[in-house]
Amino acid sequence: MSPKTLNRREFLKLTAVGVAVAAGTRAVTSTKASSSAPKGTHQWAMVIDQSKCVGCGYCTLACQAHNDINPDIQWNKVSEVDMVADKHVFLPRPCMHCEKAPCVEVCPVEASYYRDDGIVMMDYDRCIGCRYCQIACPYEARSFNWEKFTGKNPAVPEWGTPEVERRPRGVPEKCSFCYQRIDRGLALGLKPGLDADASPACVVACPTGARIFGDLNDPESNVSKALHENPSYRLRDNLGTGPRVYYLPAVAKKEA
Amino acid sequence: MLRKLINPWTAWLSFLGIILLGGLAAGIMVFWKGLGITNLTDRVPWGLWITIDLSSIALGAGAFSLCAGVYLFGLKRYQPIARTATFVGLIGYTMATLALILDIGKPERFWHSMVYWNTHSLLWEVTMCVILYLTVLLFETMPILANLEWLRRRLPKVASMMERVHHYAPILAIIGLGLSSLHQSSLGATYGVIKARPFWFKPEMSVLFMFSAIVGGISLTLFATMLSSRLTNKAKTNDVLIERVAQFVGYLLIGYFYFRAWDALSTTYTYDPGRNEGLHFLTKGPFAFNFWIVEMLLGMIVPMILLLYKPTRMNRFWRMVALLLVAAGVVAFRWDTNITGQLVLMSYIPGAAITYTSYRPSLIEILAGAAIIAYGLTTFSLGVKYLRVVDHSLVETEHETVKVEATEPVTI
Repeated sequence: MSPKTLNRREFLKLTAVGVAVAAGTRAVTSTKASSSAPKGTHQWAMVIDQSKCVGCGYCTLACQAHNDINPDIQWNKVSEVDMVADKHVFLPRPCMHCEKAPCVEVCPVEASYYRDDGIVMMDYDRCIGCRYCQIACPYEARSFNWEKFTGKNPAVPEWGTPEVERRPRGVPEKCSFCYQRIDRGLALGLKPGLDADASPACVVACPTGARIFGDLNDPESNVSKALHENPSYRLRDNLGTGPRVYYLPAVAKKEA
Repeated sequence: MLRKLINPWTAWLSFLGIILLGGLAAGIMVFWKGLGITNLTDRVPWGLWITIDLSSIALGAGAFSLCAGVYLFGLKRYQPIARTATFVGLIGYTMATLALILDIGKPERFWHSMVYWNTHSLLWEVTMCVILYLTVLLFETMPILANLEWLRRRLPKVASMMERVHHYAPILAIIGLGLSSLHQSSLGATYGVIKARPFWFKPEMSVLFMFSAIVGGISLTLFATMLSSRLTNKAKTNDVLIERVAQFVGYLLIGYFYFRAWDALSTTYTYDPGRNEGLHFLTKGPFAFNFWIVEMLLGMIVPMILLLYKPTRMNRFWRMVALLLVAAGVVAFRWDTNITGQLVLMSYIPGAAITYTSYRPSLIEILAGAAIIAYGLTTFSLGVKYLRVVDHSLVETEHETVKVEATEPVTI
């Protein structure tokens, strides 16, 4: 070996330094879990009864107002999907808050992450705007802020008042199950899904009661009961994402 | 006086300068106005810039492949080509970085990927590898940068120090091989893991990206070498070396052709909604010309023949044509893969039909993209002229395989 070549010991030393530096950075910054959703005391879920949904779009409007969303963007999109016995069938689509969310898995900076209660959250201050999550989301639940939302929100004040900050230009945004309402409600001793002040805005706004919200960990909750008593399905279930939004199909239900 | 200034060299630089200025203006517009002025949408969020990013990383792969060949597999006589490849690699990776900075919505947060780690994310892995490999490339090009006349005259000590980095070339080649194998494949896997889009969702994506990068990267390096030796006497080449590597590329192309054809056509073996539609889009739809003509015929079959048939390979013109075609074919593969997967829309609505969308880059995207390419060309041209990037007469000092005599007999 020529004297100029790195010898084995030096090489190992360099490697050790490299690893130490890497570990150091990691220790400083590791704050969020990403591998899989940790199970907290609550596991929030939503059940949408398609036999009751009339496609009025109130849910979307309430969502736009409470979350102060740019009118070009919809966190909650209602589509007409079918006809059953002369009745139109609609499919409202919030974020699915997947158990194994592709967006969380692919985000290079852990800006998308799981909360203990299962909500898939966005850290808008950490996001670099690469849009890989949009590419990965099977539900088109994410919208990018191509421009800054500066104007007046047309849904305010008729449909509610904003409860969260507007997102900056250059990051994608999506439905958060109105985490701000859940957290505040719980702090006040309210029960999300039962008390309006602790439930997502879309659930509160629905005039036909087509949306049910609650805790999957609680067998007595509205969602647990609805899922126990009715056949339900989830969107693109075959992908194994484990959505926390369930649908009760319109065909299976008779007029109550 | 004026006549002296107007020569092909200055004309070439001015031409590139104009494109660079256009791109600078476009870049400032993007940072100021945001990505809203591009034609990117929520359905096609990755467009022209991502393709440039993917392509420049792919075409920079000559660096690690040739360095591995020279320093690890003992093909020492190809060292002068590996030298050029390293410089091309450095250019390719800086081009990719430029494209990414433009493309992300929050460019001022680019450092987040280094600080906030999501080890599950392929994009995180790619980013880390690219940053680390860019560092390796910087070290690997140090001996080349040391050729700068100015540096040699003004800071001879620094220059000789930079030259000495060459002694670590084998170790840098090992690190480079590791990092490149990781991120070249992971770039493919970035698409391959997206289960939401069945057209991409397949394990061979990473192997295809890796393979095509090696083929395209070596080709571009050889083409750039030959072109510069044709245009300037600053570049000195040994045609025997180039010819031999070109033949090797010819053989690689057989493998690449087989693999790409198998990958595309075996898509029909399994049916997932959206998968065959994607294939249809590629082979019979709007991308058919790209796929059959640019990728398959011109990018693989024609250069395969030109490089494996001795008379055409020995002919420098045809060899250059073949090498350029291979590089272009790899770019077409990246473009087709990236765009097709996004244009085939899978609905989340049960039973809904598959729909298609479209994407055409805006003027701003084209201007900025052209400037990124112009930056690469400018740097390479300056390198050839001032850094002896293409100089096969340069003989580097011996740095490895020194025979060691055993001091005492070995007993087991």
